[in-house]
Amino acid sequence: MEPHNIAIRPALSQAGNSREASRSLISKWWERLGDADATATPVANTFVMGSLAEVLNTFDIPMMFPEIAALQTAIKGKSMDYLLAAEDIGYSPDICGYVKVDIGLHNTGREHPLGKYPKPSLVVSSNMCNTYIKWSEVWERQYGCPVFVLDLPGWRGTGFRYDMSSDTFKNDVAYVESQIRDLIDLAAEVSGRPFDIDKLREILGRVNRMSELYGAILATNKHRPAPFNALTEGINYMGIANILRGQPEGVEFMETALAELEERVAYGVGAIPDERFRLLLVGTACYTNFREFVGMFERWKGVFAASEYMSYAGGGIDRGIRYDLSRPIESLAEQILITAQPSMSGIFYSHDWQARVVEEYGLDGICFHGVKSCRTTSAGLPDSRDWLLNNASIPGLFIQSDLVDKRLWSEAQMRNRIDAFFESLESRRVQAGV
Amino acid sequence: MLVAGVDVGSTQTKAVVMTSQFEIKGRGLCPTGSRLDEAGQNAFTLALGESEFEESDVAFVVGTGYGRFNIGFGDAQVTEISCHARGAVHLFPNTRSVLDIGGQDTKAIKVTADGQVVDFNMNDKCAAGTGRFLGAASDALEIPLGELGPLAMSSKNPVEMTTTCTVFAESEILGWLAKGRRVEDVVMGVHQGIATRSIGLLRRAGIEPEITFTGGVTRNSAMVALVSEMVGFPVNTNEESHYCGAIGAALFALDQVLTGASAERGMPI
Repeated sequence: MEPHNIAIRPALSQAGNSREASRSLISKWWERLGDADATATPVANTFVMGSLAEVLNTFDIPMMFPEIAALQTAIKGKSMDYLLAAEDIGYSPDICGYVKVDIGLHNTGREHPLGKYPKPSLVVSSNMCNTYIKWSEVWERQYGCPVFVLDLPGWRGTGFRYDMSSDTFKNDVAYVESQIRDLIDLAAEVSGRPFDIDKLREILGRVNRMSELYGAILATNKHRPAPFNALTEGINYMGIANILRGQPEGVEFMETALAELEERVAYGVGAIPDERFRLLLVGTACYTNFREFVGMFERWKGVFAASEYMSYAGGGIDRGIRYDLSRPIESLAEQILITAQPSMSGIFYSHDWQARVVEEYGLDGICFHGVKSCRTTSAGLPDSRDWLLNNASIPGLFIQSDLVDKRLWSEAQMRNRIDAFFESLESRRVQAGV
Repeated sequence: MLVAGVDVGSTQTKAVVMTSQFEIKGRGLCPTGSRLDEAGQNAFTLALGESEFEESDVAFVVGTGYGRFNIGFGDAQVTEISCHARGAVHLFPNTRSVLDIGGQDTKAIKVTADGQVVDFNMNDKCAAGTGRFLGAASDALEIPLGELGPLAMSSKNPVEMTTTCTVFAESEILGWLAKGRRVEDVVMGVHQGIATRSIGLLRRAGIEPEITFTGGVTRNSAMVALVSEMVGFPVNTNEESHYCGAIGAALFALDQVLTGASAERGMPI
């Protein structure tokens, strides 16, 4: 009998572990937040950029990330209910969709598809996004809760790197450190617990470990085929990095995810079968039509091997955080300053990072996805695209829709642009004789 | 041996039947309407009728345009961006930039000498500055679309349209007329609004001679003159420009036949 010429792939022992773990962890996160009303537990509303989770976790204050909650409503197909509820009371169609979903939730009984949406007892905000501050003021007025706004000095100079020996940097660190100490006092007051610097140290140590693991997770996608889709699985990794930042479960999750990906790499298993094109996503995804969006790329056997979203919305976790545990508060201030700058100054310098990622990950091009209701993340995308095409011959696709507003999604036009982009990538390959 | 390209656009459907020697034997043009499949078939039938060949003589059909996936008799689909680029370079071999003003999309495409797309820029999701804007003006003024261009050319003092929003165009047009402005000046203002917006897209893609202007709006003499004036040199158009997308599609079909490539039915090339 002739042998059948088929490849038999061994069963992957780690398959699905991180997906199951993330489901379970997100479910527990919601349970804890859902119990807050009944147990009179103070909850902090905070944001993915500049969350100061290290401080909040030191006081065991549960954190609600309204951006994550909003995107979850979109994935569950419910975002428009909340968004329209916010517009009904006067919020403009032009403002951030995440804000309106949150406002809608707070004004329609706080029933989120995944659990009870808690009232904030404390808000931790920052100037990393210009909407954060006004958004925080809404909660302040609605619930009378204290609002802490971390004011991060903008970076001044050329390039992204701080000169850590400069007086400017030292003064900036002192300024941020003094604010962190204010937050520590405020969190102690809200939680009724004393500050324990050793607990902060433990948390910082775990963030160091999570950052190391997160970096290793991203790096697995330098392999061909890419073992994970930075858009679909990527948001799971990023979500856990935010909600369990510095928690033992967060470290454990990252270890599980990395083991799973390393196994995929070892067996040559890709995120999609027969990977043909490897892309970087710049901007955020559109969660209302998440599967359709990803499907339009997968149809051409395109995979997002990298995503800028996994970087700037990960609170610096991808940037190799190394807290010095011997001087925790000062080190926290330093690292926030350093890791926040690419997000704060991204509009001016992101093309450098993008070009580097394209080279390191062996990518074929970049998809720039502008978000209509978020100019903070979208301004400058066409300019980066043009610069990379004209100066580095990196092909780029520019498309627009929204995070959570289905009205801004237009399937035919989106598909047309994506198809044309892949046709041009195919042409490039033909010309290059690949 | 024959091939065909069928371009189901948002307002009009175009089809051409082409020989392996690139000779266009037949053309078909009809409104797209609400039945995309029927529009594609109708245009194809018209093109076959003009060619005096039968459907069975056509070896390969490529569909393009927004309705490309609705062409049941098509063998493959290619976007109109690639098709306009390919068609433009075929019609005018020195083309380096292509401007296509379609019914709901305006495209500025940078191309290589052999018609490959280097880059493209398109209007946003809304139809501002597209051919539909002319349609709105035609409706508001009750002047047939085909008469707008010559009328605009007689303008001496065009108005400055402050909106390119297709929805608001009608009220602004009526506002100018209410102020006593001449119809031809209002019509020219509409044309200038579209041309300015289109040139903005073209600048992003790169204005490089020669520029070939494609799509249905090329039949509008005022628009051709305005685009040429704004880029600073004459843009290419001819009687085939309206069919450029369908011609490009037919050329892709010819590739498939001549190279023996077997594109799966219903899948992109």
